Amino acid sequence: MSETPHLELKNVSLRYGEVRALEDVSIRVGRGQVVALIGANGAGKSSVLRAVTGLRKVAAGEVRIDGNQTNSLQHQQPAHALVAQGVAMVPEGRHIFPYMSIKDNLLMGAYSRKDKAGIASDLERVCERFPLLKQRFQQQGSSLSGGEQQMVAIGRALMAKPRLLLLDEPSLGIAPQIIRIIARSLIEINTKEGITIVLVEQNSRMALALSSYAYVLETGHVALEGPSSELMTNEHVKRLYLGA
Amino acid sequence: MLQVLINGALLGAVYALIALGLTMVFSIMRVVNFAHGQMYMLGGFVVYYLYGQYGLPFYLALPAAGIVLGLIGVAFNRFFFQPVLATSTREENSMLMAVGTALLLENLALTLFGEKQRGVPEVVEGIFIWGDVAEGGVVLTYSNMLVMGVAVLAIVALLGFVQYTRPGRALRAVAQDKEAACLQGVDVKTTTTLGFAIGAALAGIAGGLLVTIYGVNAGVGSNISTKAFIMVMIGGAGVTKGAILGGLLLGFAEAIGYDIFPGSVTYLIIFVAMIIFLLFKPNGMFGKPWG
Ligand SMILES: Nc1ncnc2c1ncn2[C@@H]1O[C@H](COP(=O)(O)OP(=O)(O)O)[C@@H](O)[C@H]1O
Ligand SMILES: [Mg+2]
Repeated sequence: MSETPHLELKNVSLRYGEVRALEDVSIRVGRGQVVALIGANGAGKSSVLRAVTGLRKVAAGEVRIDGNQTNSLQHQQPAHALVAQGVAMVPEGRHIFPYMSIKDNLLMGAYSRKDKAGIASDLERVCERFPLLKQRFQQQGSSLSGGEQQMVAIGRALMAKPRLLLLDEPSLGIAPQIIRIIARSLIEINTKEGITIVLVEQNSRMALALSSYAYVLETGHVALEGPSSELMTNEHVKRLYLGA
Repeated sequence: MLQVLINGALLGAVYALIALGLTMVFSIMRVVNFAHGQMYMLGGFVVYYLYGQYGLPFYLALPAAGIVLGLIGVAFNRFFFQPVLATSTREENSMLMAVGTALLLENLALTLFGEKQRGVPEVVEGIFIWGDVAEGGVVLTYSNMLVMGVAVLAIVALLGFVQYTRPGRALRAVAQDKEAACLQGVDVKTTTTLGFAIGAALAGIAGGLLVTIYGVNAGVGSNISTKAFIMVMIGGAGVTKGAILGGLLLGFAEAIGYDIFPGSVTYLIIFVAMIIFLLFKPNGMFGKPWG
């Protein structure tokens, strides 16, 4: 990987007061790749995404997107500015707007865009991808099941027309058949639309199957990294993360 | 009776405006703005001075009240609430700050404007009479009609703004989920400031409207705040349609009450009814925390 990576974390540390959530974490994500971040609860996976979006300042190191510094001690870009740089995030717990309709939730994803025609055609595409949503277009966010909310959250992120998509535990608390729909759509999003994906998961089996490269986080540092197919046969990974 | 209902509608429209302002600030910041009534009072004084004293036309003095209070809202948010919200981990802190700002405004007003009750000349002269007043006809001054019309217009404009404009969408998003709003590219800080400014401006406009009917004095703030809390509690904190419903209900209750009962009995009954209502519906009519 000699070209500029799409996303790069260099020696990032991140704290919550006294809690050291990340310590010297370095991650590279190439353009068009699907990269997985796996690890136990509290390992620091969400913190990596918070460092990337700028929802939290780093304590050391730097985050670069397309080679541009976005979060470091010297330069801190506000989180809301990232959308315009082609980064969208599906947060842990989905965070859809509870008192907006599905349609309005999806349109919120296009908040930073001005191209009306493009927004309309993307709305159509999201509905084709998740036909279930189209049927409930006017229904309020809070009335949906977890799986439906996750589709809304992913659809909303796609409405931003991202080049880099970050997902935080999209399979958490969701029925297996919906997980399959979501997994399939992620593959499509990546292969057909060329969107780079960073997939954070506790569901390691799913994450390794979908990704080409993966990082294993343990108590705030990268314990292991490698091509996903290799990690799948790694003894440490098998024992701790694949329940074998 | 028709007369009483018309009075209720008039009062209700302006009250709804007051409640909408309070609920706007609450939904955006989760802060109960105890100074809302004092902001109303300042709006009254802006119109009193500009229109009543300096002779500026009312149609300029009233927007000025909105603008002045909007700016005060921006300043309060920037210098008082944001710093407290950013550093405190406990909800009481911002509440105490809100009480502090209310006391500050009230005492400032007492010092600057004195204790006297102030009134302004009629905005439009003339009176509308329908039917025989002795036999249930209706009397309505053109001024009061104007107040009601402007209040309704302001409410419609606000609802349209929140529903159909880009900043309005940002306000709704921030009210429902700050982090998610930020991830969609909404500048949460600016939007919060806008929300506080609109809330304060609504109080100012309501004050500027009612000064033409009731006049104003430096002490009316806490009374108005109390009414605003009642209205918001009826509908549910942070719920737009709840605020409108609460405003109308209180307006009618007050108009009907003052028609039937002597003096302070009306509010005694309203308070008791309120407490009983809250025992059964602690979240208000619309039963959800915000939206
Ligand atoms: N807002 C917070 N305040 C304090 N500690 C936090 C906060 N968020 C996360 N942490 C701590 O930081 C560590 C990493 O958390 P997180 O990145 O959420 O892990 P993961 O997503 O892998 O479960 C954990 O020890 C967690 O308890
Ligand atoms: Mg997490």
